[in-house]
Amino acid sequence: MAKIDLKNITHVYKSGGEETRAVNDVNLTLAEGTSNALIGPSGCGKTTLLNIISGLLTPTEGQVLIDGKDVTELPPRDRNIAQVFQFPVVYDSMDVYGNLAFPLRNRGTPEGEIEGRVQEAAELLGLDDRLHENPASFGPEWSQLVSLGRGIIRHDTTALLFDEPMTDVDPGRKLTLRRRISQAQKRLEVTALYVTHDQHEALTFAEKAAVMKDGQIVQYGSPEELYERPVSTFVGNFIGSPGMNFIDCEFAGEDLKAGKFTVPLNETMRNSLDSSWSGVELGVRPNLVDVYDEPEGGGEIPAEVTLTEHLGSYQIITLKVEGIGVEIKAELPLEEKTDIGSEKFIGLTPKNIMLFHNGEAIQNEKK
Amino acid sequence: MKNRAWWFLLPALAVMSLSAFIPLMTVINYAQYSVFPGSAPQFIGMENFADVLGDGVFLDSLRRQVLFSIEILLIEIPLGLGLALALPKKGKWVGWSLVLLGIPLLIPWNVVGIIWRVFTRSDLGAVPAIFNWIGYGAYNASLNSGDAWWTVVAMDVWHWTPLVILLCYAGLQAIPEEFYRAAKIDGASAWSTFRYVTLPKLRHSLILAVLLRFMDSFKIYAEPFQLTGGGPGNSTTLLSIYTSRKAIGGFNMGFGAAVSIIYFFLVILISWLLYTIMMNVGGGSSK
Repeated sequence: MAKIDLKNITHVYKSGGEETRAVNDVNLTLAEGTSNALIGPSGCGKTTLLNIISGLLTPTEGQVLIDGKDVTELPPRDRNIAQVFQFPVVYDSMDVYGNLAFPLRNRGTPEGEIEGRVQEAAELLGLDDRLHENPASFGPEWSQLVSLGRGIIRHDTTALLFDEPMTDVDPGRKLTLRRRISQAQKRLEVTALYVTHDQHEALTFAEKAAVMKDGQIVQYGSPEELYERPVSTFVGNFIGSPGMNFIDCEFAGEDLKAGKFTVPLNETMRNSLDSSWSGVELGVRPNLVDVYDEPEGGGEIPAEVTLTEHLGSYQIITLKVEGIGVEIKAELPLEEKTDIGSEKFIGLTPKNIMLFHNGEAIQNEKK
Repeated sequence: MKNRAWWFLLPALAVMSLSAFIPLMTVINYAQYSVFPGSAPQFIGMENFADVLGDGVFLDSLRRQVLFSIEILLIEIPLGLGLALALPKKGKWVGWSLVLLGIPLLIPWNVVGIIWRVFTRSDLGAVPAIFNWIGYGAYNASLNSGDAWWTVVAMDVWHWTPLVILLCYAGLQAIPEEFYRAAKIDGASAWSTFRYVTLPKLRHSLILAVLLRFMDSFKIYAEPFQLTGGGPGNSTTLLSIYTSRKAIGGFNMGFGAAVSIIYFFLVILISWLLYTIMMNVGGGSSK
């Protein structure tokens, strides 16, 4: 259990005279015993940040604090941090018992104590009846459990870091592994950080998630916050599947227009706009787009269905709006008739939309 | 045998017959005859084998041969592994290092022998000159049997350690970086990381290196033949030099064939032993 603080972390990779700023002035605090996720597209610096926390990398600038103690210069072995990698690491020169005992043996723990700890960790992870097997023959999900076991075997493990641990795991086994990871994390009340580019994985595991882009954390919050109140069009688009729809709008006097269609705004929204802006982007989640067969008389936007995708219990339709040049995705119940080429009417209501200016969410409080 | 695919084995079988089965059968046949050029072969059963095993020079050559293989394995494998570990993993020097290391491997065996012969000539060679310079003036590979022996060993090390390096280097490059990261997280020392990560992952590369080096060194002929011709005396007469001397130099084909068969089974037997040992050695314990 520990609180982890990242203070102004910057990391620059140098190779052949070229500098790549992988992490750029990141500040983040992970509260004690919480489960957190770090999500973002490939190459955004997630893994670099994780390796900085575990000590595999020393940041170019900034500090890593564990429980207020500066550990920036300490090697991994002195940080008591466990890390599970994307590639499942098991030492095939040892059986499961030997694997779990390895970190303890490395610090000279007496064998008698090791035995009890190995039993304890193995039971927690469901490895107890496979202790004397060679993990070389294990599939990725069991290998990852062994790998996690080596992490939690030390009683003073302060944090668990996961670097896309599900990548190699069969889709059918992901759920089991995720559940075991979650259980272990909760039982041990250890601070966890889970790196992934799969938001579904992140949001089911974590209480709070940080979204990263180009080396910076753009938003850190609960899954609901990220979904309902994205701070930028990037987060809106990245979180949710499919992401938020965006429509460019222009001012027309007091009103906001998308092409020739007027966007309904409420008073707060209107007050938050600045008429010196050339325009704003309107964002709406696919499940909050109202789709009608006939105009309802509220200024609905006519659109043509160009694609329908059935996704189990619902469908996603793509609508093309004449004259605006954007495609809007909407989530509808399966029963809804959505023939390709048919005409629909899109209804936008103020409570369902968000406004963005230059990619940043416009705070409604702003006057 | 309904499957017509079996016919596709024929070309391979034909090549194998010509290159291996037929010569081997001929040798097995010869071994049971007294065969000298110009006279009719005479069947003598196992007599050739009895002669071979009773020949003190054969036993000396065999002992020398085993010693030679043990020595070069003990030197080349650790040295090759050590140098492979020391090579850069990436960057512009990788290519250059590998090309430089590859040079000895590109030189034909007997040319290596000739190079080393020139290299170690007592009148104009660099090796005696260096020994003179450091104060060991007595070096003479053509008179002193100890010097001759270590020169043959040194030549083999020079010629073949690069092969071990390349095999180990390829094996090292194939170990995912994550293993080393995990070992760091697990608090492993450098030795522990080498013992539990690097070495087990290199098992197959090392087996390959040991087997290749054992088989080649056990059969070594052209290099010592050019360098010392087996001398002085019999001090560098290795098994293949002995065999060819008997069979071709002495025209005793039946005897030579018997030596070859014993030789052949020794190579197979020792290779199998080495393989079995290396496949099973060094598993990690539970308790």
